[in-house]
Amino acid sequence: MEFFEAVDFILIYLYRVTGNPLADYYLGTFLLAFLSVLVGEFTISIVFKVNKRHLDKLNVKVEKMKRLSEEALRLGDQASYTAINKEGNDAFGHLFFNKFGLSAASLWPIFIALGWMQGRFAEIGLPLPFFGWEINYVFFFLLNYIPARILFSRLKRWLPYFRTVHQTLLSYEKTDTGRQ
Amino acid sequence: MGKVKWLGKGAVILFILSLALLTTAMFTAVAQEKPKAEPPKIEAAKPAQGALVGNNLGLGGKLGPAIAKTPAGKGPGQIDVSAPRGAFGIPGAPDINYLLAIIWAVWVGWIFSTVGAFGGIMAGVGHITVYGLGDYAKSFRTTNPALNKTLTDSIRTSNQFLVGLSALISTINYLKSKRLAWPLGIALALGSIAGAVFIPMLTGGKISFRQYQGWFGVFVFVVGAVLLYELTPSGQKGKKAAKAAAQAFEKSVKEKKDISTQGVTLKKFGITKSTFTFFGSDFDFNPIWAFIGGIVIAAISSFLGVGGGFLYVPYLTSIVGAPMYVVAGTSAFAVLISMLTSIAGYITVAKAGMDWSLIGIELVGIFVGSMIGPRTQKYIPDKWLKIIFIVLAVYVGLRYFSAGFFGKSWVP
Repeated sequence: MEFFEAVDFILIYLYRVTGNPLADYYLGTFLLAFLSVLVGEFTISIVFKVNKRHLDKLNVKVEKMKRLSEEALRLGDQASYTAINKEGNDAFGHLFFNKFGLSAASLWPIFIALGWMQGRFAEIGLPLPFFGWEINYVFFFLLNYIPARILFSRLKRWLPYFRTVHQTLLSYEKTDTGRQ
Repeated sequence: MGKVKWLGKGAVILFILSLALLTTAMFTAVAQEKPKAEPPKIEAAKPAQGALVGNNLGLGGKLGPAIAKTPAGKGPGQIDVSAPRGAFGIPGAPDINYLLAIIWAVWVGWIFSTVGAFGGIMAGVGHITVYGLGDYAKSFRTTNPALNKTLTDSIRTSNQFLVGLSALISTINYLKSKRLAWPLGIALALGSIAGAVFIPMLTGGKISFRQYQGWFGVFVFVVGAVLLYELTPSGQKGKKAAKAAAQAFEKSVKEKKDISTQGVTLKKFGITKSTFTFFGSDFDFNPIWAFIGGIVIAAISSFLGVGGGFLYVPYLTSIVGAPMYVVAGTSAFAVLISMLTSIAGYITVAKAGMDWSLIGIELVGIFVGSMIGPRTQKYIPDKWLKIIFIVLAVYVGLRYFSAGFFGKSWVP
C-alpha cells in the first residue's frame, strides 16, 4: 500500500532509538502503540464533539425509560413495566449503535499500525520462555497497547488539547443527563 | 402544504433508495471488473498442466500452505506469482480500492447511526461483494477448495472485527455503570464463549464461500422480515400500544428524580433456577437456558460475523423479562465477549489471514458515517429508513441465497 511506503520512513525511526535490535523492537512497538492511542484519542474527541448533542438526546431518553421502568416496578404496575421496557429497549438500541462511531474512531489506528507492522515484522516471533511458543507481531503490539493506554490516561491531563478534552469529559460524566 | 411536504419527503426517500441500489450495483460492478487478470490469450503463458505455486509466498497461517497448493497461472482459480500483491497479500488478488472501502464504510457508519442493526449486514456485503473478495474466493472452488474456504474464513473474521470492536465503547460504558445482572451475564457469557470457540474449531477451513454466502442471505432475509413485521399493522399496533402505555404511565406518576438507583442483587443461585431482585421484584431465570442461548446466539454470530446484538436482547427479554437496562448491559457484555473470542478463534485456530489496513480504513469510514447519520436523520422518518432497508434486504438476501445455494443469482 502506497500509504505505508510513504509513512514507513517515519515509523521506522521509532525502532532505531537504542541501536540494539531486541531493545528497539520492544521500545519501538511500545512507541507505535502509544502513537496509536494518541491518534485514536484525537479522532474520538472529534466524533464526541460532533455527536455530543445527539448522544445526549439519546442518553436522556434511555435514562428516562430507566427511571420510569424502576418506578413501574416499585409500584408493581406490570403492564406499564412491560411497555416501558419495550420502549426502553428501542432507545437503548439506538444509543448502542450510535456509539459504534466512538469505538471506530478510537480503534482504527491499531489496524493501520498492524498493517504497517505486517509489512515489516510479519516473520518475527518472540520466543516465550518455558512454553516453546512464539509471540507474533499482532500479539506483541496488543501487549504494548494496553500499557500505552494506561500511560496515556495518566498523562492526558498534562497534554495540550487532550487536557481540554479531559476537562470536558470530566464535566460531562459528572452531569447526569437523565436529570437535565 | 402538507401534501407538498409529504411528496417532498417521498421524493427524498426514493432518491436515497435509488442511490443506494445504484451505488450497490455500481460498486459491485467496479469490484467485479477490477483486478481480473487480462484475458488469457496468453496461451503461451499458461502453466504446464497441474503446476502448483509450490511455496507459501511468505504468507502465514493456513493461507500460505493453501496458496502453495493452488495451480499457478493467470486464469481464474489460479495464482499468478508475478502479479502485484492484492488483498491478504496474495499476488493477483483484488487490489482493494481504499477509496471505495472508505466510501462503503461511511455508508455502513451512516446506517449504524440511523437504523442500527443493518449496518453489520452492509459491512458483510462490502467484504463479500463490493470489494470483490467473495468472487475471488469463489474462483478457487474447483481449483483449490481449501483456499476457497480459508478466504471465506478471512471474510467472516473481517466482518466480526468491524461489528465486534465497534461495540467496545458501549460495553465498557455499561460495565462501568454496573448495569449488569452478573449471574445472568456470566451464564450468558460462558455460553457465548463456548459458541464462539466451537464455531471456528468446527467450521474453520471447512465452509466454502458459496455455503457462507447462502446462509448470510438467509440471515439477511430474517432481518428484513423483522423490519417488515415492524411496519405491519400488528407490528405497529404493539409498538404504538407500548409507547402509549409508557406515556400514560409517565403522566400518571410524578417522576422522582432523586430516586437512587437500586442495584441488582443475587437472591438465590441454582443450576436450574436463579433469582435476582431489583426494586423489590424478583426475576427468575434458568442459567442453563441462558447458557444454551449464549451458545446458539454466539454460534450464529460467529458463523456469519454479524447478529449478536440483534439477537441477545429479545432473547434475554423473553427468558427473563428483566429491566431493559439490565438486559442491555448484559447483552452488550455478551456481544463483546463472544466477538473477541470468535475473532481470536478464527485467527489462532482457523488461522485466517487478515488485511489489517482494510479494517483500519473501514473503521475510519464508520466513524465518519456515524457523524453524518444524526444530521440526516431529521430529513428521513424512521419508517422510510426501514422501507429502504427492507428493499435492500430483499435484494441482498435473494442475491446471496440464490448465488450461494443454487450457484446463480436470481437478481441482477
